Amino acid sequence: MPDTQARTRVRPLDELDISAVVRIDERISGAYRPEIWEQRVGFYLRRDPGASQVAEADGKVVGFMLGDLRAGEFGLEEPSGWIERFGIDPDHRGRDLGRLMFDAMVAHFKAGGARTVRTLVDRNDAAVSGFLRALGLSPSPLEALEMRLDGREPR
Amino acid sequence: MKVEQITLEKKYHGAVEHWRRHNFKDYETLLDQWERYFPSDERFCLCAKMELGTSDVVQVGDHQGEKKRREPDQLSAEEAGHLLAIIRAQASTEFGSIQQHAGTLERADDDQDRFWVLRVMAEELRHGYQMLHLLLSKDWSHVSGGVTGEQMVEEILSMQTGNHVLDAFNLDYDSFIDNITFAAIIDRVGKYQLTMQRVCAYKPMADSMPPMLREEAFHLAAGVIPMRRWAQRAAQGDPFVTMTAVQHAINKWLPRGLEMFGDERGGEKNLKFGFKDLKNREAQDQYVEEVRKMIRDINLRFLRARFPAYTTERADQMLAELESSRETHHGVRHEDLLRMPDRRFFRRKGESAFGMAGVDGDVFTDVEEYLRYLAKNLNEGYVLSRDMKHYAEALRGVAAGTLTVKDAIMKMPKLKRVGGTCPCSKGVRWVMEGSAADRADTAATS
Repeated sequence: MPDTQARTRVRPLDELDISAVVRIDERISGAYRPEIWEQRVGFYLRRDPGASQVAEADGKVVGFMLGDLRAGEFGLEEPSGWIERFGIDPDHRGRDLGRLMFDAMVAHFKAGGARTVRTLVDRNDAAVSGFLRALGLSPSPLEALEMRLDGREPR
Repeated sequence: MKVEQITLEKKYHGAVEHWRRHNFKDYETLLDQWERYFPSDERFCLCAKMELGTSDVVQVGDHQGEKKRREPDQLSAEEAGHLLAIIRAQASTEFGSIQQHAGTLERADDDQDRFWVLRVMAEELRHGYQMLHLLLSKDWSHVSGGVTGEQMVEEILSMQTGNHVLDAFNLDYDSFIDNITFAAIIDRVGKYQLTMQRVCAYKPMADSMPPMLREEAFHLAAGVIPMRRWAQRAAQGDPFVTMTAVQHAINKWLPRGLEMFGDERGGEKNLKFGFKDLKNREAQDQYVEEVRKMIRDINLRFLRARFPAYTTERADQMLAELESSRETHHGVRHEDLLRMPDRRFFRRKGESAFGMAGVDGDVFTDVEEYLRYLAKNLNEGYVLSRDMKHYAEALRGVAAGTLTVKDAIMKMPKLKRVGGTCPCSKGVRWVMEGSAADRADTAATS
């Protein structure tokens, strides 16, 4: 049972958070995928250390939000903050940890000269989409397009 | 997060480029392969990076609340001398680690690991360059004892593994395990030093820290991530990767890492002068807890790989049982896991210098028995080394009462090598602008 009085704090991700990220992902997805998260955490720590954030409750990492500041994506020359992966331990949801991590990332992006935060979301995933909209993100004029190469129907 | 990039005067920039051609031969390979291993990452820049917009007010110490100093002569002579020693030591470590990494880099069995270390080496080169900028961009002559900036640079670029300022940078690597363990253990001390120096009352030093710290974050990942993967391979029965070999490397580096914080009883001056915001023991305590967490995470990675059906909770429970019982559970022995060495283990500086504590804190009374114990708990390649020979001689002297601990600390010889540093010039090679050598160097780098 989660402690609703737990003290929380948000701080930048570091390499010792890999195990916690793996654990949170496993709780959410049911899959144990350490190799994937080792690679992703390594990627964000070299690309833009300080951008990605974790949320702690009583000293234990219970949420993560990964992303970076970059320019030149899809012809967007201005630097933008990109939010790419996030997860919160199901026992610690509903406590605004996602917003706290998002705010910390936005502060980092602004300090780096970004004027826009961007992400891609599966519109069929109402929970994630709703969470992002609640943070203040809204549909963009940019449209995500894709084409299946395996002959299957588009999702 | 605005950063100003600065290039050293051509003479000094050329000296660093020349140094790296002799000491960092794979630099060009790294740049050639950059896009393959670090796609769309910002290209590497050999330059000093100064953070803009940092605090202008001294945050700790006797001058707290005053304006930060921007010139060495705004510091007292004692403060300036102390800071100059810090900068020179920092510069020495940056160049020193490249020389160490270069020795065993080619033995990496994984190209990604190798290129990660290459990037670490390049960024250490930049950090060394950053420290040279601090030495050269201001006048330190009133506290340098007459040593000019040029001479300081020459001294630093002349150092080899064996005569660097700090012990951790005077040990040769024995295998690629050392490259990785060094990144996880010794670079972590570097992170602490840089973090503490963010508050530095001398503003150019403080402004140097954030860009270096951002790069250091990846250096730690370049150590920890391969160690995690090795734990997985060891658990799955890979005959070439064992937890024992990793443990022995930790045993080699952790004591030197602890000593990099300085004597546990010291650090007052750094705080008083406003150069760092923690005393030595406080910083070391935090560091120890971080390493403990790293080791625990790697052990859990090992157990999950050995028992794929286990949940995280079950693996946690098993680890706790193994640590408390020190017995065997389902074929995994306690000694199959990594252990955090006791802080007193294999120390030659600080309050535990030349004590004889084992990895688990057990204290030895017989010096020969202790040396045999060390031989069993360190990698073979390291045991038969000059460093161990000198250590054993000093330890025997302390045990026999012919040497005080203080004298033993002072007596520990450096592993100085005979001869110049630069294969082509027997010293740092100053390249004069427009000279034939300059034209040759320019052609070599273009």
